[in-house]
Order: sequence, then structure tokens, then C-alpha cells
Amino acid sequence: MEILEWVRFMIGAIFILIGLCIFIIEVFGIFRFDYVLNRMHMAAMGDTLGIGCSLLGLMIFCGLNFETFKIIMIVMFFWIASPVCSHMLSKLEVTTNENLTEHCERRDDLAELERELEEEAKC
Amino acid sequence: MNVKESLSVLDKAYQSIFWVVLIVLAVLLFMCLIRAIKGPRVADRLVAVNMMGTMVMVMITVLALLLKESYLLDIGLIYAMVSFLAVVMLSKVYIGIYEEKVRKKETVTETGIDKRAVTETKVENVAVKEAETEQKAGNEKE
Amino acid sequence: MSKLVPQEKYEKTKAFHFWRWLSGTKDPYLDHVEMKEQKEWKEEEQTIQDRMNERQMIHDAVYDMGRNKKQRLFHGIYVAVAIIFCFLLLVILLYTVSNLPPTGSPEKAVNNEVPERYIEKGLQETGAVNIVTGMILDYRAFDTFGESNVLFIATVTVLILLHYTKKDAAAKKEEANDRAFEPKNDTILQVCATILVPIIILFGIYVILNGHISPGGGFSGGAIIGAGLILHVSAFGFVKTEKFFTEKTYKIICFVALTFYCLAKSYSFFTGANHLESHIPLGTPGAILSSGLILPLNICVGLVVACTMYTFYAMFRKGDF
Repeated sequence: MEILEWVRFMIGAIFILIGLCIFIIEVFGIFRFDYVLNRMHMAAMGDTLGIGCSLLGLMIFCGLNFETFKIIMIVMFFWIASPVCSHMLSKLEVTTNENLTEHCERRDDLAELERELEEEAKC
Repeated sequence: MNVKESLSVLDKAYQSIFWVVLIVLAVLLFMCLIRAIKGPRVADRLVAVNMMGTMVMVMITVLALLLKESYLLDIGLIYAMVSFLAVVMLSKVYIGIYEEKVRKKETVTETGIDKRAVTETKVENVAVKEAETEQKAGNEKE
Repeated sequence: MSKLVPQEKYEKTKAFHFWRWLSGTKDPYLDHVEMKEQKEWKEEEQTIQDRMNERQMIHDAVYDMGRNKKQRLFHGIYVAVAIIFCFLLLVILLYTVSNLPPTGSPEKAVNNEVPERYIEKGLQETGAVNIVTGMILDYRAFDTFGESNVLFIATVTVLILLHYTKKDAAAKKEEANDRAFEPKNDTILQVCATILVPIIILFGIYVILNGHISPGGGFSGGAIIGAGLILHVSAFGFVKTEKFFTEKTYKIICFVALTFYCLAKSYSFFTGANHLESHIPLGTPGAILSSGLILPLNICVGLVVACTMYTFYAMFRKGDF
């Protein structure tokens, strides 16, 4: 039994440390990249994978009870809400930035883009 | 080999990993705060604030296990809701302010009203002025 | 028996002249002089511009920091006094804090019979496991009643100040399109809101109903429900929210909740002060249906807080429900 407890601790600790590493990478990336839309990529990684890994580790520590259910609720909430946050933020950036074309391409016509992609696939 | 001593070792291991997580996350939070203050554009600040919300969530969950108080998890859920709502509302409001400003400028150029009157109306709307100054600062830095 | 008079005959009668005179279209004594309609006095665009320019010029002349020495002196003194005042306040507060007794010492002034009684007899007298809720909704219920009333009065004041009455159809149409400057019908946000709003409101109800067992209660639960409503508005717009939440709903909910709170607590205080039997069962501590009046009072406070949150948002966003 004692060894099983230690095994559980080890698995949980590994998950938590992975999550912590992802958070560190996230903060590093936010200083490394130059533009908001690139930084948002790092932030989204932390919001989904980082919080998923660290809360999975904490769930393993917790065992099977009502608290685990609450932690699952938190993770599910974050996984639903965080992409919407990123979507709104990117919309804000695209609308308010007047010289957006310096940083990235912008296509208003989606059908044309799809046609071009199909042509590329054919070639 | 007594069971009691080994259990206490396990407890110590649990506590030490919790403390490590808390300290590292505190340092990362501070870095995020620097980005939120530095960030040249509004979206930069909002991204940093959103990240801070995620990290605080993990901290609250760790604290709930460390102090063995399950009600902290409720607070974590509320925190997640409020940070989500804040980001959505702030981005919507900023888009609204920007488009209002653009439309005002268009109408001004069409009718050709005196510039001084325009500035006076702008002074009234503090939020628009704030957004403008931030935009200017962002453009200068870029 | 009355008879219908033809129009030509009727125009010659005195009654017709009287009504015409009363309505102001014709003066009977000056026979054929038709009255002109009064025009509303309107200022010309140019004079408005001139006045604004003049005001700007006066403003520039008065607040010209480079030349107006008096203004510059006043500004310097103002900044210096503000900084000195801030530091003085800081020093006074720090000095006061350093003189406070340490936390938890038995010689503290607040450590008298009142908290002792709350801690010792709180569970059996109120039946609430969460002693804080037992305190604010049982021992000090009139205080909480005052707080709910303050919220209600704040909403009423905001309604008076910001309520916008629609004048004609064009203005109404303009108002209905309140999100003219916002991204409309964002499908991603709408799908997310359909999933999340029920969860958020359910969680708020859970926090309100468990107010006497776990931390939480009316104020926090009501705030969560209000946040859910605000998310719904931001996703779907005011047109959809008006289907279930209007000014009338707000009036009814606030009136019923505050009146019930007042009556219930008055009854409980009346019987308690006169040593009468109150007939309110306390139940077993820890169950949902327990601790007497605390659960209904929590629900009342939660409803008032949720409505207030939503109304504030709607008022500042649009000026109407």
C-alpha cells in the first residue's frame, strides 16, 4: 500500500511539474515574441495545456471525491471559455490596428483563399 | 519499519511540492505583471491579464489542497468566471469605442466642422481620449 | 332626439366659432385673420460655432501656463500640498497601525462577551453551520436589510439619472440598435454563452442555497447570477434579454423580496423581544432545509443583488432595459 501511495505521488508530481514547465515556457514566449497575435499563441498554450496538466496532477493527489469533481468543472470551464477569450482579443486587435498589414497578411475574401489552397493542393 | 514515520515523509513531500509550485507561480505572476505594464497595445495588456488569471487559478487550487479547505475551489470557479467575463466585456467595449471614434472622424471630414469644436467634444469623452493616447504610445513604440 | 347637422350649417353656429377660437386657428373678433403657427426659436449653426470658439479662446487665455503667473503659482502650490497631504496621511495611518495590539491577544478591546456568545451559542440559536451567515442574517438581520435597501435605492437613483425615454420611431429604432458600434451576432460567443450561461446561473443558485452550510450566501450568489445575465446580454443583445427581464420584472422582484424580508424579520424580532414562541423550526444543522429563516432571507438578498447588478449594466450601457 505504501509503495502505491508513493507511486501516486510520483505520477501527480510529474504532471504538476510538466504544467509548471509549460507555464515557464509561456512567460518566456510572451517576452520573446514581438507582436500581440504571436504572443496570444503562447498564452493559449498555457490556458489549455498548462492548466490541464497541473490540475490533472492535483486531481491525482486529491483522490476520488467531490473536490475532484469541482476541479474537473474548473478545467472544463477553462477549456470552453479560453478559446472564446482568444477569439475576442484577436478580433479587438484586428479591428483596432490600423497598420496590421505590416505584421501579417489579411484576407477579407475567404472563398478566394480556399480556391487558392485547392489549386496548391492539386499541383 | 514503522508506518507512521514513512507517512510523515510522504506528507512532507506533498507539502514541499506545493510550496515549489506556489513560489514558481508567484515569480511568473510578477513577470506577467511586467508585461501587462509594458505592453504597447491594449490587446497586450489583456493577454497578460488573462494569463495572470490562469496562474492565479492554479495557485488557488494548490492552496485548497495545501490548507485542506475545499471551499477555496468554489472561489476558484468564481474567479475563472469573472476573469472570462472581464476579458470578453473589455474587448467588446474597446472595439465599440474605436469604431465610434472612426465614425465621428468620418462625419467631421464630411461636414467640415471647425476643429476646435471637435476637440471640445472629444474632451468630454474621457474613454475615447484614453484609448487614443494608448494608441499613440503604441504607434510610437512600434 | 338629436339630428345630424350638415357641415355648412354647422359652420355658421356659435359653437363652431367658439371651438375654433379655443383651438387657436381663428380669432372670431377679427373675422378672417388666420393665426400663424408659432415657430420654435432656433439658433444658427454659425453663432454656435462662434460661441464655442470664443469660449475656447477665453479658456486658452485663462489657462495659459506660460504667461499666467498666478495660475502657475497656484498649480505649483497645489501639487506640493497634495504630495505633503498624501505623505502626512501615510505617516498617520502607519503610526496608528503600529500602535494596534497584536492579532489574537486576549487583552484586545473587541474580545468581550459578544463574540463569545456568537461562537458558543451561535449554532444552537440560529441553526446555521456557517456562523458568519448566522450572524449577518439572524443576529444582525436588520443591518443586512439596510444593505439590501441601499442597493435598491442606488438602482432607483441610477434609473432617475440615466433613464432615457424614447421620443419617436426613428429614435426608437436607433436605440434598439444599441450595439451599433460593437461586433454583432458573434457566433462563437453565442455558442459559448449557450453552454456557459446555464452553468453560471446554476452555480449561483447553488451558492445561494448553501449559504448557511458552506461559505457564500446571498450577496456572492447574486453577484454570480448577475454576471451570468451580463454574459447573456453581451452575447445575444438586449432584444433577446427583454423577453424575460424588463423593468416590470425588476420592480416586482425587488418589491416582493424586500417586503418579504421586512415582514419575516419583523415577526421574528417581535416574538424574540417579547419572549413568545416563534413557531419557526430550526431543523438539523447541516441539512439544506434548516436554520429557520436564513434560507428564505438568503434567497431574497440574492434576488435583489442579481437584479441590481444587471440593471446597473443595462443602464450604463444603453440607458434603458
